[in-house]
Amino acid sequence: ATTVPSSAYIPDPFLPPSSDSDESSGDDDSVEPIDEQEIYDLISPISDPEHPLTLGSLSVVNLPDIHLTPTFPEKGSASPLTTLTVLITPTITHCSLATVIGLGVRVRLEQALPPRFRVDVRIKEGTHSTAEQVNRQLGDKERVAAALENGTLLGVLRKMLEGCENLET
Amino acid sequence: MPSSSSLPKLSLLSTLTPSSPSRAWLTAPHPTLPLLATCSSDKSVRIYSLTSFTLLSTITGGHKRSVRTCAWKPNLKGESVLATGSFDASVGIWRRYDTDDLNPKPVIAPVDFDARDENIDEYDEDEWRFAIVLDGHESEVKSVAWSTAGNLLATCSRDKSVWIWEEVGDDDYETIAVLQEHEGDVKCVAWHPEEELLASASYDDDIRLWREDIDDWGCVGVLRGHDSTVWCVQWEALTPNIYGEAEKLDVKEKWMKRREASGPRLLSCSDDLSIRVWRRNPKEKVPQSRLSIIRSGSSEEDWIEETRLPVVHSRPIYSVAWSKSGRIVSTGGDGSIVVYEERWRHSGTGTETTMLGARRDTIDGVE
Repeated sequence: ATTVPSSAYIPDPFLPPSSDSDESSGDDDSVEPIDEQEIYDLISPISDPEHPLTLGSLSVVNLPDIHLTPTFPEKGSASPLTTLTVLITPTITHCSLATVIGLGVRVRLEQALPPRFRVDVRIKEGTHSTAEQVNRQLGDKERVAAALENGTLLGVLRKMLEGCENLET
Repeated sequence: MPSSSSLPKLSLLSTLTPSSPSRAWLTAPHPTLPLLATCSSDKSVRIYSLTSFTLLSTITGGHKRSVRTCAWKPNLKGESVLATGSFDASVGIWRRYDTDDLNPKPVIAPVDFDARDENIDEYDEDEWRFAIVLDGHESEVKSVAWSTAGNLLATCSRDKSVWIWEEVGDDDYETIAVLQEHEGDVKCVAWHPEEELLASASYDDDIRLWREDIDDWGCVGVLRGHDSTVWCVQWEALTPNIYGEAEKLDVKEKWMKRREASGPRLLSCSDDLSIRVWRRNPKEKVPQSRLSIIRSGSSEEDWIEETRLPVVHSRPIYSVAWSKSGRIVSTGGDGSIVVYEERWRHSGTGTETTMLGARRDTIDGVE
């Protein structure tokens, strides 16, 4: 059933094509199962938009808040979907940059993971005053895509993701 | 539940090549010609042949950001007109003479030699002419739709508004309404197939219906029920098609009569994973005194949720369509395409028809 050319898979929204995203979405497709630790390693080096610290060191992202679930365990399906849920814990409950942080995590994961992953990034319950609003924005593919066409925001995201690129081999 | 074995099977016919290098947001088949337009986040629209499945032309240079949506103007002969809506907040209107063996390309005269020198490559290559840009929305345009007659164009945006434009002359459009009652992004607009009645779907979880009442466009109905963003609304064809045979003819007759009174139904799909069918509750006709200068009754319409389709999708449902043959197709973030059929119910329960989910196919990359 998978006759769609791989070029159609390259997920969007994304930063301008870089060599690392090309490699990661093409090659290691469903050969090795990806686990929660690997997901953590992908997102923990993302920098906080305000501080020179990483999301891992600020405990904004935490290993126990990363969940992988096969969503489509259909028989005969060539590549079942995997739903990845990442709950983020903003440093303060009124953090105005929670959406930007969530966006950074989502972009990082969608760039790095094969297209069979469906990424849900949400605010951990009880850790943010407008969590519901933020969650809806982060879950809206149109809003996410449109946000990534915003030059200013893209600059902020690039800066946040700077520390990640070295991890790719 | 009846077996799904008699339901249609889906198989991949062809992949359009070459494909867009980035996300294709929407595809729109031409109303009469074997053409398909696809909108892409690379700011272009691609026109493919539906006979060879190859790229015929690419419309570029009109939008500064993702082209999110497009719609072919209906009821045209000899020329095609396409409206495009972009994240750059603008709506573009494009024209092209239909060129196939039956309709030879008209000679364009007089020729402006200076213009030709500058634009000859682009112009000759795809023959699409930029006609006009409709500015007004403040942020991303999400959906555009032509009325059945083709004289009205509805557009909607993240700015929470729905605009209605009327073509008043060649490439001349006037804003006739700006409807601002939604409380969130308006994701989709769709015109009733025979009335000038517009449905809109929103991030505020509501569907609204709009029509003109004595020179003023206003909201005539709010369809509430979805628990999250309503991504898409689509109308049923004028003639309903229910599959199978009704057990009792009087039941069928009663159903058809009611359907005739309500008119085409409305289909909606949502982030809440549901697909719902809405039906107008026809008003009882109240005899009106001819002498009365006060309008009797309001233009408010009463719509009810008639049924929900079987739950098949596991991720948000982004798009639904109702075929002329009465089948429904849906697709969403789980990458599957689902076909549904409405059948006469064979049981003693009160409902006359039932919706059946058909087979699904996993399509990777569809989101």
